[in-house]
Amino acid sequence: MSLNVVDLRKQFGSRQILDDVDFEVALHDIHAIVGVSGSGKSTILRIIAGLETADGGDVRWNHRSLNKIPAHKRRVTMLSQTALLFPHLTVGENVTLATRKRSRKQAEHWLQVVRLGDRYDAEIHELSGGEQQRVSLARALAAEPELLLLDEPFTNLDPKLKLDLQRFIRDLVKELNLTAVLVTHDREEAMLMADRVTLLEAGKVTRTGTVEELYDSEPGFGDFVMIDGELRPLSEVEISETIGEPVQLMKKIYRFGQCFGEYHFEDGRSIMLPTHEWFQIGMMYRMKRKEEYHA
Amino acid sequence: MIRQGFILCLTLLPFISLFFIAPSMGIENNEAIVHTVGLTIILSGINVWLATTFAWWLLWTESRWKHVLEWLVFLPLFIPMLATLFGLYLILAEVGLIGTYVGVMLALLVVTIPYSIRLAYNGMAVIGRPLLEQARLLPMSRRVVYVLYPLFSRTMRTIALFSTVILLSQFALIQLIGAGLIPTVTTELYQSYAGNNRSLALSNTWMLILFPVVIYFLLSGWNRWMVRMLKGRLQ
Repeated sequence: MSLNVVDLRKQFGSRQILDDVDFEVALHDIHAIVGVSGSGKSTILRIIAGLETADGGDVRWNHRSLNKIPAHKRRVTMLSQTALLFPHLTVGENVTLATRKRSRKQAEHWLQVVRLGDRYDAEIHELSGGEQQRVSLARALAAEPELLLLDEPFTNLDPKLKLDLQRFIRDLVKELNLTAVLVTHDREEAMLMADRVTLLEAGKVTRTGTVEELYDSEPGFGDFVMIDGELRPLSEVEISETIGEPVQLMKKIYRFGQCFGEYHFEDGRSIMLPTHEWFQIGMMYRMKRKEEYHA
Repeated sequence: MIRQGFILCLTLLPFISLFFIAPSMGIENNEAIVHTVGLTIILSGINVWLATTFAWWLLWTESRWKHVLEWLVFLPLFIPMLATLFGLYLILAEVGLIGTYVGVMLALLVVTIPYSIRLAYNGMAVIGRPLLEQARLLPMSRRVVYVLYPLFSRTMRTIALFSTVILLSQFALIQLIGAGLIPTVTTELYQSYAGNNRSLALSNTWMLILFPVVIYFLLSGWNRWMVRMLKGRLQ
């Protein structure tokens, strides 16, 4: 079973938003669609959800076309930038409404899963942004979807919460064997969460591949380094004097009142990282994951 | 403060004079009240139903005819009522609906529906497209009962009130299309004014004021009860 997006076309007025977009999402995969604002990535998601109709092409789930199936019959749920909870309902009622049999018990279960088991009777406005997003996730999961659509759901969260929620959702999607499509402009987010990535540029797919394939073949794809055998965003690594992978400091520059160093790996790759002013050019140092990112 | 006071005076001015007139006498024409109540209920119901469904369609349609249709529907807002009325009279006379309840109802619908659609469309815009999209992912019955109705109930109440007030303001339309055979509180009131029967005019006026007030409280109570009942079913 898989999701196939075939030759998808969409035009708004005279502007071509999607131009023969093709990609496949394997079952139980998290597939990221990465592109800048206006590249058409959210439109793809809205067409998959049935909230928008394509001018041409097809969306197939398990080889069955979804084009004529209304949104509520597609077994698809969507998480957006804002939680979009129904304001007249409490936390629990929002989730209960999404369950198949309007079951409070099931709603309580899903709220437990997102670690909000004690907030069933809370009003929506009493929750923080992160909590609202988790309720939204509980509501999305309570509908027992076959496909989970994530439309930049972490955009409005602070960095710490964002990272927590990214990991939480990724683990949960894997644990529940769901298939998910994540839309984001943030390459780091795509690298952290997705199994496969599709790069979108002005409504056209420029490349699809695994995170590792893109890291190897797309020089501009995110600021990542391979460390401890895993790809890590530069924001998670730091230079140390004692442990980690050996790197050589080749150059120091000052930007925004901060010192940055250009470090070269043994295989010739180079990266730019914040560095101590007393580090000396030409000396060997070590690169490691920041302590706070060690699980 | 002066501005607020001035606006308050403007709003209350027409009603102050009502207290200076002699006590009213009872309304004798019960048929007029029955007609008014009947027309109000049917007209409000049809307006809420048609306006909500049409505004929903307008909100989501990608049809290229959307703007043309929108313009045509809102046309009666820009055309003087008497012009509309005469056109309606000729058409309804042609199909033999002059002097009938159905004819009056159709004519009232023509003049109320553009306002109702505009109210419904604005009401949906206030709820917001993203939230309504989330609702679209729910099964139809749940979407309507648990989300759209509670969120939209105030707008529906406004539509019902607005169509009632327009209905109660239409003397010429009801008199012309109804050919004097469909008496309402408004037509009775006009006649009492014309006959300088101030006492009867006053009682009819109070009736006119009472209608929207009663409808407002009835609908508010109903909506509150319904929403509480629906929320209870999610517990």
